[in-house]
Amino acid sequence: MGKAARDQSARDRIKAQREAERKKERARRVATMTTAAVVAVAAIGAGWWFAAQSSRPEQTTTALAPITRAADGTVVMAKPGVGKPVVDVYEDFQCPACKALEETSAATLKNLAAEGKAKVVFHTVTIFPQEMNKGVTRGNSVRGAAAARCVPAGPSWMTYHDRLFKEQPPETAEGFALDDLVAWGEDAGITDPNFAACVRNQQHAAAHVSDSDKKLEAAKIEGTPTLKIDGTAVDNNVAFAPAQLRQAILDAAK
Amino acid sequence: MTIVTSDKPEPSKPRSALPWVTTVSRLILAAVLIVAGGGKIGTPVLSVEAVKAYQLLPESLATAVGYGLPILEIVIGVLLVVGLLTRVAGIVSALLMLAFVIGIASAWARGLRIDCGCFGGGGQLAAGEEPSYLIDILRDFGLFALGVIVAWFPPGRLALDSVLGLTPSQEPDEYDDTEGDDEEPRQEEDH
Repeated sequence: MGKAARDQSARDRIKAQREAERKKERARRVATMTTAAVVAVAAIGAGWWFAAQSSRPEQTTTALAPITRAADGTVVMAKPGVGKPVVDVYEDFQCPACKALEETSAATLKNLAAEGKAKVVFHTVTIFPQEMNKGVTRGNSVRGAAAARCVPAGPSWMTYHDRLFKEQPPETAEGFALDDLVAWGEDAGITDPNFAACVRNQQHAAAHVSDSDKKLEAAKIEGTPTLKIDGTAVDNNVAFAPAQLRQAILDAAK
Repeated sequence: MTIVTSDKPEPSKPRSALPWVTTVSRLILAAVLIVAGGGKIGTPVLSVEAVKAYQLLPESLATAVGYGLPILEIVIGVLLVVGLLTRVAGIVSALLMLAFVIGIASAWARGLRIDCGCFGGGGQLAAGEEPSYLIDILRDFGLFALGVIVAWFPPGRLALDSVLGLTPSQEPDEYDDTEGDDEEPRQEEDH
């Protein structure tokens, strides 16, 4: 065996050895990257799941607590004798985030009121200024709110209230047409013969606007929805997480 | 003369600033993603609302995206900070930014008056507030460019990928010299 051949075989051996090491190295790298990727994907999945869970609304189980209306249009939902904690809800029928709150947390408020653990006060306001979208958004809001004020206090008010949020028009398009507002009232089982005329004449529009301005001013509302427990604004992290909201209200009752 | 071929320990001498460029890109992108994700993660419902405000995705998909986006941003942000799976994280963040640019541009083109919802807030403008689409687009386009840089170049300084030897560029693939000594060609100094 000549020197050249020996060199050649040594070279081959080293090459093979290097090849093996490289393979091992690659396998280790793939394993590490896979682990990291799996952990990252698992974290995203867990976060997603948690987000979905924490946003899941309660089911309304029992009949609603009695619903009454004050002179300033405020609607109160509470069992007789239940005066605290007071949960104030400032909402605008035209505001998408209010609709989201409605879909997420309204059942919790209904249940707590029905359980006699809270007095829930609904303040229907109009937050949108006339300048926005050439007044379309504000028009929708006022029309809806004025119509809701035509509904006699009672369970049908809540049905109507829920329906308005369900039918919420886009902010840029004219919605809450008078015909629809009347028809939804009939769907809600409103038998008051004055209801249709009250809606069509927008009988309560002026009163709603003036009450709304007063409430926004008095309660220092900067945006809707605003939820207050005994006068203290609730953080959105809580308001939009039904389980946490329930806990916060129960804690306030202590 | 074998000096010439074994001269690879410093192949990136003329680009020695690059590792820092990618590191800084990573950190800026990560900071924005984590702040944006953190602003939304506490209120998944509003995050969903913000996605819906763009009126681009069908309801169920918008809901899924709304729940998933904040945590995705945070996880990608964390990966970028520690420099793990950097290339993938760079690609994902570049794609995210591209999607945001498209979404905002389309909202603008359709005349929607929404807040971008970028850092939380439900995608609704406060009363009297004006949308700032151009600024949002320019910002996200800049971040898209950072994402491309991160995906394109090696992870740079202070990256777990380098420490763990995960960077493809470190694979001693193309060395042909058969000198049996110095078996460890992995002496990139990115530690």
